[in-house]
Amino acid sequence: MNLLWVVLLPLIGTLVPLLTERFGRNVCAFSVALLPAWSLILVLMHVGEIFDGEAIRQTIEWIPSMGLDLSFRLDGLSLLFLLLILGIGLLIILYARYYLSDKDSMGQFYAYLILFMSAMVGIVISNNMIQLWMFWELTSISSFLLISFWSHKPDARKGARMALTVTGTGGLALLAGLLLLGNIVGSYDLDTVLASGDLIRAHAAYPIALVLVLLGAFTKSAQFPFHFWLPHAMAAPTPVSAYLHSATMVKAGIFLLCRFYPALAGTDLWFMIVSLTGLITLLLGAYIALFKHDLKGLLAYSTISHLGLITLLLGLNSDLAAVAAVFHIINHATFKASLFMAAGIIDHETGSRDMRKLNGLMKYMPHTATLAIVAALSMAGVPLLNGFLSKEMFFAETLDQSMLGSLSWMIPLLATVGAAFSVAYSLRFIHDVFFNGEPIDLPKTPHEPPRYMKVPVEILVALCLAVGIFPAYLVGDLLHAAAFSVLANDVPMHSLSIWHGFNIPLFMSFLAMVGGITIYYNRRHLFEFQAQFNEPDAKYIFEGAVQSLIKFTQRIMATLENGSLQRYVFLMLLFTLVMSAYPLFELTQNAGSRPQLPIDGVAITAALLLIISAIATVIWHRRRFLSLIYLSVVGLIVSLAFAKFSAPDLALTQLSVEIVTIILLLLALYFLPQSTQKESSNRRLSIDLTVSALIGCVIGTICFAMLTTPLNSISDFFIANSKTGGGGTNVVNVILVDFRGFDTLGEITVLGIAALGIFKLIAKMRIYVPTRDDKGRPWTKDRHPLMLAMVSQSLLPLALLVSVYIFLRGHNLPGGGFIAGLITSVAIIQQYVANGVLWIKPRIKVDYQWLIASGILMATATGLGSWIFDKPFLSTWFDHFHLPWVGEFELASAMIFDLGVYLTVVGAVLLILANLGKLTTSERVDNKENV
Amino acid sequence: MEFWIELVVSVFLVAGAVFVFIGSLGLAKLPDFYTRLHAPTKATTLGMGGLLAASAILMTYQQGHLSLHELLITLFLLITAPVTAHMLAKTAMHHKLQITEKTVDKELSKRARERNTPT
Repeated sequence: MNLLWVVLLPLIGTLVPLLTERFGRNVCAFSVALLPAWSLILVLMHVGEIFDGEAIRQTIEWIPSMGLDLSFRLDGLSLLFLLLILGIGLLIILYARYYLSDKDSMGQFYAYLILFMSAMVGIVISNNMIQLWMFWELTSISSFLLISFWSHKPDARKGARMALTVTGTGGLALLAGLLLLGNIVGSYDLDTVLASGDLIRAHAAYPIALVLVLLGAFTKSAQFPFHFWLPHAMAAPTPVSAYLHSATMVKAGIFLLCRFYPALAGTDLWFMIVSLTGLITLLLGAYIALFKHDLKGLLAYSTISHLGLITLLLGLNSDLAAVAAVFHIINHATFKASLFMAAGIIDHETGSRDMRKLNGLMKYMPHTATLAIVAALSMAGVPLLNGFLSKEMFFAETLDQSMLGSLSWMIPLLATVGAAFSVAYSLRFIHDVFFNGEPIDLPKTPHEPPRYMKVPVEILVALCLAVGIFPAYLVGDLLHAAAFSVLANDVPMHSLSIWHGFNIPLFMSFLAMVGGITIYYNRRHLFEFQAQFNEPDAKYIFEGAVQSLIKFTQRIMATLENGSLQRYVFLMLLFTLVMSAYPLFELTQNAGSRPQLPIDGVAITAALLLIISAIATVIWHRRRFLSLIYLSVVGLIVSLAFAKFSAPDLALTQLSVEIVTIILLLLALYFLPQSTQKESSNRRLSIDLTVSALIGCVIGTICFAMLTTPLNSISDFFIANSKTGGGGTNVVNVILVDFRGFDTLGEITVLGIAALGIFKLIAKMRIYVPTRDDKGRPWTKDRHPLMLAMVSQSLLPLALLVSVYIFLRGHNLPGGGFIAGLITSVAIIQQYVANGVLWIKPRIKVDYQWLIASGILMATATGLGSWIFDKPFLSTWFDHFHLPWVGEFELASAMIFDLGVYLTVVGAVLLILANLGKLTTSERVDNKENV
Repeated sequence: MEFWIELVVSVFLVAGAVFVFIGSLGLAKLPDFYTRLHAPTKATTLGMGGLLAASAILMTYQQGHLSLHELLITLFLLITAPVTAHMLAKTAMHHKLQITEKTVDKELSKRARERNTPT
């Protein structure tokens, strides 16, 4: 069998409700049930093998070198959980069909539910710890979506957030624990880990790994002190509570305990942590449940208590206790899911869940009442029902331990007390809701629900009865198989029968019954006693903790990041200074052995110009346009310097970037205040001056040292292989499009993302557009002077011709897609400047976003194309051709790549500049328009 | 190199340099913005034109085939320089920059200021 399909079918099924939602509720619910049912059948086909003690495994290799495989295993424990998850899941699908109102989006609900189901299935059949963890996190996320399904309710949102925070944090702890386990054992394979229990328990890191794994399990299974999220998760629709918070998700923590039982259990530490946590949770949950007026609140605390019971059993380190725990998992899932569904029916048909209002419903909905009473009796542990059997086993196990030394007698005593409270709240559930007089102003007149809404409850209650009467016959094999895989060795003798004769467990049961009835009878005194305490609401405590954490981080952020750009630059420069100056202290000699170029007049003039204009930029920085002109001189000289140091490509790029930058700055300056006051104090100025002067000295020294030192770089390789390997003589371009083409692909992607980000920032910007300059002169009315417009238009074809020329020769001579793109952009920007947005709009109908996308796609497709020829990604192909008249020419696949670069650059530059420019005109981008 | 080529190149170089020099001198010395505007335009058109012509002749001779890059640069300069000057003049008019006393026919500037490009 393909185990992969067991998890894959529900996962695919996530999409089904979204597709079939429009065909009506019945079709939708039916179609949703199909794939999980198929999955269940796949599982059932293997029941025989599992009962024979076999485990079915399947592994699909993914990254074997890192121990990451898709690995599945179906054993008794997985089978038990799969039956619960898929079986109860199917019932829930039927139930939810009647529960959801017309206003709720059914497709969305089912999609989340099935997603959750797949995640649970994934957890229980994973045979790889990392894979298990991934599904584990998926349950946290999908349960978040389910709890917050009624997202208009603040309770639902808060509850969902709390559940996600608690279980998500636990999930992180679990990941750490699993990684630690994997480290100890040397494999993430579950089979291997479970087989190395002795190794793990003897390892020094065992306590840490144990605590981390237990943190994961306890948060998920709502164990003390993490139990507080479960009652708040009751804000979810009731099918979710019935499914997640009784039968499945909270059992995931229990599953984890069972799963790692062979590897982690058996030590004193395990006993101390697990059994004590379980005991406290059992007592606390049972006690609080009694005082809850909300029907679902009572059930939630009772769930916490029963989960504590299972945890306590698992913590006792006894084989029989583990069997009892597994048995109670089955029983609790059946009676609690049916109780939740009954509560949901009551809520649905009466409009209230408050037990102070709900009274005497036996008269109005006798059928539902009978079902709920049977399930509640099972919860109380009344004979002939399944809850009785596992509770008997539990009592027997608490007697049979001596871990607390001479205090061991306390455990059975406390267990009996817990059971008494369990009886009491079950009685309250039955008596308050179904008897006890008449209902008090309910929003609706109670009546029986639709026929099929009761079917899931009926099935589960029938199971409670059947298991309670014929336990060995019905679940004997399943229990044996599941216990076998928990214990990883022979299952001890146990007897699944109702009557074991008069013994202490029976006496304890009897005591619990009597105690429970007594407690319920005297409940008024207890309620009064409890009312003295100010019960802390976990919601406020949790919110308070979250808020103070947020405040704390905000304080840190406020000190680190106060919004002052000057300060960021200052700190950054200071750090650069420290980092780069330190190694310079060790450098004894600045000048390397490389001969220096002769100094000529041109160089000196250029250097002087550079220095003067840089200083002038700083001096006149408050007269912005003047300063900008000086800045452009700096850029120009730098381009010339590149040309002189034989970097024509760089010079060309720098030149075009310079133009684009100046236009961009002009546009930005337009929106800024035209004149600025002196803002910095003299002290500030002197500090800044000192730092920047030091930076200048350090960087100058580094440059000098770099330029005079002969460097053995890999450029020789590039020069040698450029023609033969890349088919071009322009090494710079061949590096860009071939040798390091993957870098370029990443860079243009970043460029595209940046351009889109800037576009999104400015698209809806409404900023103050000044109508006058700083001297109060209005802008000229002549916005687009005829002469400029005409000449610009006639220059466009010439400019485009130049950019094509630069593009085509790029592979062999200075040029290439990047420079050509910049030239084209400048040429088009010139049209925007000269003719205005209104003139351009009908003439250039290119969507610049589309241009960016197609550029990146083209570059990527070129890279992918080499796969067709069985070459690595982005291999270049080139050849020489001959055409009459044209002569010999070369074609290279790198040219298509370069074209992609070209398109991206054009699109990015124009998207930014054209949209920023548009802000100055009446042609601002509206919400509906894009470009 | 043959003497007559050297001669022609030198003549162009010197002529170009003279224009560039005059242009720079004018930029520094002339009394108001409008008169100063004349100077650099001469430098870019005639001055640069002379230098580029010299370069074209020299390169053509040295490489043995026609070098036309310089012609292209000249062409671009000839197209753009007047437009630049025009735009500068328009801006100056808009900003009502002072006109030197000696200017003839100041009425014209007033009329020009009020007139806009036909749209």
